[in-house]
Formats: sequence, structure tokens, C-alpha cells
Amino acid sequence: MINRRRVLPGIVLALTMCCALQPALAQNGSADSIKIPFETYKLPNGLTVIMSVDKTIPTVAVDIWYHVGSKNEMPGRTGFAHLFEHVMFTGSGHIPYGLHDKYTEGVGGGNNGSTSNDRTNYYETIPANYLETALWLESDRMGYLLDTLDIAKLNAQRDVVKNERRQSYDNQPYGRVSEIFAAAMYPKGHPYSWPVIGSMTDLSAASEEDVKAFFRLYYAPNNATLAIVGDFDPAEAKKLVQKYFGDLPQGKAVERPSVPLGKLDASKRLVYEDRVQVPRLYLQWPTVGFKRDDNYALDVMSSILSGTRTARLTKALVYDSQLASQVFAFQNSSEDVGVFQVTVVPRPEHSLTELEAAVDQVIQKFLAEGPTPEELQKAKSGMELSFLRGLESNLGKANQLISGSMFYGNAAQFRTDYEKTLAVTAADVKRVAAMYLGRPRIVLSVVPKGKKDQASKAAESEAVSMLNRRGGKS
Amino acid sequence: MKTQKRRLALATALLITLAGIGAVAQQPLDRTKIPQVGPAPVLRVPTWTKTQLPNGALLIVSERHNLPLVSFNITFVGGSNQFEIAAKRGVAAMTTSMLSEGTKTRTGDQLSDALQLLGTNINSGIGGEDGFISFVSTTKNFDATLAILADMMLNSTFPADALERLRARTLVNLTQAKDQPVLISGQVFSRVLYGDAHPYGQRTTEASVKSITRDDVMAFQKKYFQPGRAIITIVGDVTTAKAKAAVEKGLAAWTKGGDKPAFDYPKLPELQPARIYLVDKPGAAQSVFNIGLPGPPRNTPDYFALQVLNTILGGQFQSRLNANIREQKGYSYGVNSNFAYGKGPGPFRAGGSIFSAKTDAALIEFMKELKGIVGERPITDEELKTAKDSLIQGLPQRFGSLTGISGVITSLVVLGLPDDYYQTYAKNVSAVTKEDLARVAKRYIDLNHLAIVIVGNRAEIEAPLKATGIAPITLLDIEGNAAGSAAPSSSNND
Repeated sequence: MINRRRVLPGIVLALTMCCALQPALAQNGSADSIKIPFETYKLPNGLTVIMSVDKTIPTVAVDIWYHVGSKNEMPGRTGFAHLFEHVMFTGSGHIPYGLHDKYTEGVGGGNNGSTSNDRTNYYETIPANYLETALWLESDRMGYLLDTLDIAKLNAQRDVVKNERRQSYDNQPYGRVSEIFAAAMYPKGHPYSWPVIGSMTDLSAASEEDVKAFFRLYYAPNNATLAIVGDFDPAEAKKLVQKYFGDLPQGKAVERPSVPLGKLDASKRLVYEDRVQVPRLYLQWPTVGFKRDDNYALDVMSSILSGTRTARLTKALVYDSQLASQVFAFQNSSEDVGVFQVTVVPRPEHSLTELEAAVDQVIQKFLAEGPTPEELQKAKSGMELSFLRGLESNLGKANQLISGSMFYGNAAQFRTDYEKTLAVTAADVKRVAAMYLGRPRIVLSVVPKGKKDQASKAAESEAVSMLNRRGGKS
Repeated sequence: MKTQKRRLALATALLITLAGIGAVAQQPLDRTKIPQVGPAPVLRVPTWTKTQLPNGALLIVSERHNLPLVSFNITFVGGSNQFEIAAKRGVAAMTTSMLSEGTKTRTGDQLSDALQLLGTNINSGIGGEDGFISFVSTTKNFDATLAILADMMLNSTFPADALERLRARTLVNLTQAKDQPVLISGQVFSRVLYGDAHPYGQRTTEASVKSITRDDVMAFQKKYFQPGRAIITIVGDVTTAKAKAAVEKGLAAWTKGGDKPAFDYPKLPELQPARIYLVDKPGAAQSVFNIGLPGPPRNTPDYFALQVLNTILGGQFQSRLNANIREQKGYSYGVNSNFAYGKGPGPFRAGGSIFSAKTDAALIEFMKELKGIVGERPITDEELKTAKDSLIQGLPQRFGSLTGISGVITSLVVLGLPDDYYQTYAKNVSAVTKEDLARVAKRYIDLNHLAIVIVGNRAEIEAPLKATGIAPITLLDIEGNAAGSAAPSSSNND
């Protein structure tokens, strides 16, 4: 269980942002339960601090996000932000390797880190009396990581990350789909055109100097937000934050170049042969990132199209025509870009070409008529429950508060998200459906080895020529 | 070198402090000093009430009012191992899936729409030795959701066309499972350890799914969802009186019937000398390991010693297995071990996904760690203390969510453990000695009878595995049947 740690959830962020937006009731618009008590302040060195007390159980979550992810990497050094995340667990100036685990999992708590396109986070969940220990651990690697970093440590983690890539992508049926889409959706060199895990070749290329430069630029207090959530005394905690983080020097301001949205001039049809027995059809349209208001309507649209048996795609493909055994639709949004994706698993006797036509039929009808009032209400009805359930976890609250603070400058963004989702109208959904699903898209067929003819419109589909990144022998 | 750098860093920190960021004159911080830790928080175990209902079910209520949420769960003692026959494996899962396909008064679509408007979901599932039907709702939607749950559990109509649709979906899922080395490895491991005659060795197959009829499903529903084996656990923003009234009203139609099954399992197949069972997955980037043998049931008096032992061996990130094979050697993204317990002899297993080129080297390390824990590398005081601290101080975390509380309380009843189990947990863990660990390690990690299941690219890994000399190799197919021995490489098989 625990050993799947330091997993790389490229989707973590999407989940934090979108899943507050799962189906939910609130037809009377009352959102009194949508609150998290918190306070926030900034240290002179630029570190943003958020505190939220919850004494339900005697534990504390210490969570820190750095505003750096795979999009800050350079082509040729992909996978670097995530590799770096691993390096952060190898000890720092005053803390030898192993102590971090000893004072977290070894005292009944836990720790982990994760990397997405946009940010990297680290956390400790500990018994309440270990708060100071956790702040000591986190501050030392923010301030003194490079003191003890050497090439041996880097190489050891490089091997682990390559194994992570093998396990989560290469040895996973359909595991390379996100990577194929990223490369097809964005022009070469675009910050979202490579996968968070990176390529085997690039992982091998990272040098000790790369690591150091990356750290100096991005792992400074002014590029980080710290949250403490759980059973603690805020006055005492503020003193501890000052004690451990107050003397860390401010870093250079981080430049944030504007990143263009994905845009396709014409639709693309791709086919990829994988070690699978059941083919799958994937459709992807470029949309917007989570900071654009259209994202709210796109989320609502995804609940109307799939996720329940009466959702449009599910009802049509899985229940009525029974062409498919499963179908999923979702808006996957990052800070700067987003995509809307539909995934279809066929029943054996039906071709991907048939499925694509069936998906299109549902979408065309939806574009023409938009959602019904009942569909809209169902899509919003689960929001309150899923928000409340999120409040059961200190770490969940910490992530919620930090993401608001980091991406919007507003830790209470969860409330805005809630209200803006409630405010989505049928006209909004109809508009975004037409605007995004009416545009060119990428159609990807994943088929068994040697069965390219099973692709949707096989004759028009281009084989995906991924570089051989399995890198097994390198 | 290290020390020098450290001093330098300290000096920098001092300078910055003096430079006046903080107006208060601070002592330079000695970061090498491990912070003092205050006393451990007092353990607060949730309280609950138990009521025996007239229909035979046990009602457990635990109040927690911090959020307007209620968790409702019915657990049934006994699962697919007690209520399915080998030829109809999968009927339990099919039945739970069909509960949402329609009732006497609502179609499947109407059930779905009603739940969507309540903002929640009703889940049901049946495992090897118990099953459940459950939901979490807001306080205000509790009664309405409970009414739907009762309707699904008691009045489902099991439409024939829905059965065919679910059958087709299950068959697609079984086909997709053949592409998942991790699933294959687990299934083959169970079959090798327990054989076809023991429920632990059986699984749902294409043949069993094809044989399930609507009558089977309806009979299963009647037989299984009975109050005589049920524990109803309600946790959250509800009073005991209100919860009792809600259940009496909402489940009024659920009348007496059923009892807790006996957990009589057939005798285990005779243990075989250690052997490598190799399943070919051509082109696989990793080899998926499961190493182990049948272990003790949950009611073993050795439970606490085994929990401590496994924490040291493979229960955590810094456990011996992961510290060595992932962190030091870099052969894997993570390896672990566990005892699965259960009412019967659940397995001990160690394993993980290993880079193909390091398959042989990793097997050598797995064996080294297993030999180490049974005696070659005695457990240190430090390891013992950390493992105990981790188990004891991790307890409060289990009471963090409503479903977490529901699970820990219900499991006491299901497993027949005392009500003060969590109050005495620390004492029981603390009592474990190094001698206990040495004894249980020898007893339960029987190196001479390990089954070593490896699913990977045979052409690449077979010869190196053979060269380790650790155990003879038998080839199996992905179902766990003897595979043809036409070797893709030049190595021989015995």
C-alpha cells in the first residue's frame, strides 16, 4: 500500500479543481456549509502561509506547494520537475537520508510528494505533537537541499523514476495515451507538449548542475505556499513557522511566460498499437485552463455527458444501443490549458468506426438542443456533498486552500468555484459545447498489435511514431 | 566536507537574520537539533451504541456532529467464498450490480436520477468473506437516500436484458484483465497457493460468467441480503434515537431471516518445495513478483507480532524490502509485503514490479531480505521501536472520516474482536518482543515452501532466473495452467 508513494499524479490538480464540481444539490442556492475557516499571511521572504484549525482528531497536515511543474522544464530535460521531487526525499543539509521517513511514517504519520504540469507538492501528515518536526523537515530541504546533494543520490532516484515510468506508463495497457495526446495537441516545444514523467532519454541526461540551477530558481520561499491544517495552536504555529522558515533567503522572482491554449487547425486521426486485446477510442478537443470561466460550464457538461447511467453518452452507448461497455467524458484542465476528452471501450462485436459515429450523433444532438433544466440540476446536485466530504481530510483542505492561493491569489477560491458552478446556465453549457466540441479534434484509436485495421476510419489514420522511449537497455 | 558546508549554511542564516528581517534578536537556529516532541495526544476512540433489532440485525450508531454528513452501511458477514459455488463465480458481483437496474416501482433510470438529485450514490459489493451496501449523504438527505437503498436491496426486479448487458461488460473486463500483468500475477499466485478446490484459489472466469442465469441472481439476492447476518452501522450527524427510528421506518419491510455462515474451508493443498512459477508476458517492461505461502487467519494469537514484523519487513516505505530494492538498488518503483489474514489462511506475500533487466538480481535481494528477517539479520531495537511507534501512533488517523470510523467499528464485530480493542491496542503492540518476532518469522515465512510467481518477458528473464539457482522453474499460462515448454530462448526447464 504505502510503497506506491511518490507517485506522480499528473491529474492531482485536475482533481482538486474539478471534483468539487461533481453532481450535487443546491437548487435553493444555499451554500452555508461551503466554508473552511482559515487565516493567511506572508513572511518577509515571500513565503505564503495558510492555517486552518480542525481538532476532530489529534493530527496535523503540513503541506507545501512550489509553483513549478513540468511546464517549466526545457525541451531535452523533460521529466525534470518530477525527478526533482524524488531528490527532495534524499536528505538535506542538516537532515540525513531516512530521517524524513522516520519522523513521519515511523511515528504513525505519512509523507508524499506529487508533481503536475503546474506545481509540485510535498506533505507530512503527523500526530499533532510532531508539528514542529515536520516544519523542521520541510524548511531544511527548502533552504539546504543542495548542501548534501551529489550525483550518486541523483542517479539512484533516476533509476526509481525510470521504474515508475515503466510501471505507470510502459507496462500499463493504454498507459501511453496521455503522452501521445500531449505530443499531438501542442506544437513542438509547447510547455504542455510533454508528459510530466518525461522521456527516458531526457531522464538520463539530467546533470547535477541542472538540478542545482532548477532548485535555486524555483525552490525559494517566494515561489511556495505552506499550509498547516489540523489540531494545533495557531499562535504557537506562527512562532514555529518564523523559527524554521523566517531566515530562508528570498529567491529571484520567477517569470511566468504566457502559454498559448491548444489549437488545432484541422482534426487529426491517429492509431497506436499497444499490447492490448480490447481496442479503445479516444477523442480530445482543446479547451481552456481552470482559470477561465468557461471551465465551469465544461465541467458541468462532462457530468451531463457521462458518469451516471442517464448521462447522455452513457445512456446512448452503454444502455440503449449497447455498442460500448464503458464511456467516460471529462474536462481535464491545468493552469494554462485544458482538454475535453471522451474515452470509449467497445463491446467486442462493434468497431471503433461505429463508436465514433455514435459519439458524434449524441454530441450533435446535444450541440443542437443544449441541456435540459433537470440535467443541469442533476449535474450540480452532488457538489455540496463532495465538498463536505473533502473537509474530512486535513490534507484535502490544505490542498484546496493552497491551490486557491497559488493560482488565484485567493485561498477562499473554493467558494467562488462553488458559486460560479451553481450559476452555470443551460445557455452557458450550450455555448461551450458549440464553441469547443464543434472544433477540430484528435481521434486516437488504440488497437492490438498488428491490428491497425481496427482503428476508427483506419484508412485515414496516421500511425503514431513514438520514439522508442522504453529505454529498457539504456 | 559535509561539516564545512553545514557551518557555512549556518553562517549565512545568521547573517540574514542579523540583516534585520526579524526585528527580534534571534538565537541562530541550530538545525542539526531534532525538535523536542511533546507528549503524545490522548487517544480518543469514538464511542458507539449497539442495538439488537427484532429482525436479527445489529444496529451500531456512532455520533459525530462536526459536519452535516451521515454514513450508512450494512455489512453482511460471509461473502462470495461462502455463498458462491466454483462454477458460478461472479454471481455475487452480478447481483450487486443488478440492484441498481430497477425495482418494483422505479426503473434503473429513475433510481439513478433520484440519487443524482440527492447528490449521492449507493454502493454495493461482496468480497471473499463479507459484503456491504452503503452510502454517505448530507444530513438532510439521509431519510430519502435510505428509502432508495431499502428499495434496491429488497424490491429489485433483475430485468433479463440488464443481466445480458452486465454479462457483456464483465466479459470485456475479463478480457482487459489479461493485459494487466499485476492482476495476472495476483490471480496466478492465489491459484498456485490454494488450488481450485479452495475458495481462496478460485476466481470469476469467462465460463462462470457465461453460466449465470437470472434465476441464479434472484436466488442469490434472496439468500444473501438477510438481516440475520447484517450489521447496520450509522456514523455521523445523527442521534442514536433518530438513527434507530430511521432504520425501523426505512427497513420495516426487512423481516427476520438468515444467519452468520460458518467459515469452514477445505484443507489446504500440501505445501510444495519452493519453486518459481514463470508466466510469459512477451515484451513486458517489468516483471511482477508475488512471493509467499498460505498464512494464519486473523484470529491468530500471533496477530500483533506479525503486524510489527511486517512493518519492519515490508509494510512501509523504509521497511527492509523497499529500502533495499527500491531505494538502494533502484530495481523498482516500490516493493512491499503483507499478511492478508481473513477467516481462513490468507496468504503472506512479498512482491512488486521489477525492471525486467533486474529480475534475477531482485529475486536474489527478495530472498536475502526474507532470510534476513527469519534470522540471518536479527531485528534491532531501533527497528522494533519505530515499528511499534508507527502502529500505535497511527491509530487516531483511522478515526478521521465517517467511513473510516464505520469501518473500524464494524470490523470489530465482523472479526469477533472485543469492544475495547482500540483502547488496548497500544498495550498489545507494546508487549511484542524481539523473541516473539523471531518465532513468528520462522513459523510463518517458511523459506523452503515459498511460491515465487513472476509475470514477465520470458525471453529476457528465464535464463537469468535459472542461473540464480534459487528454485526450479515451472512455466504457467496467464490462467495458472501448465504452459507448453517450447522455450523462446535456449534455456531449459525442468
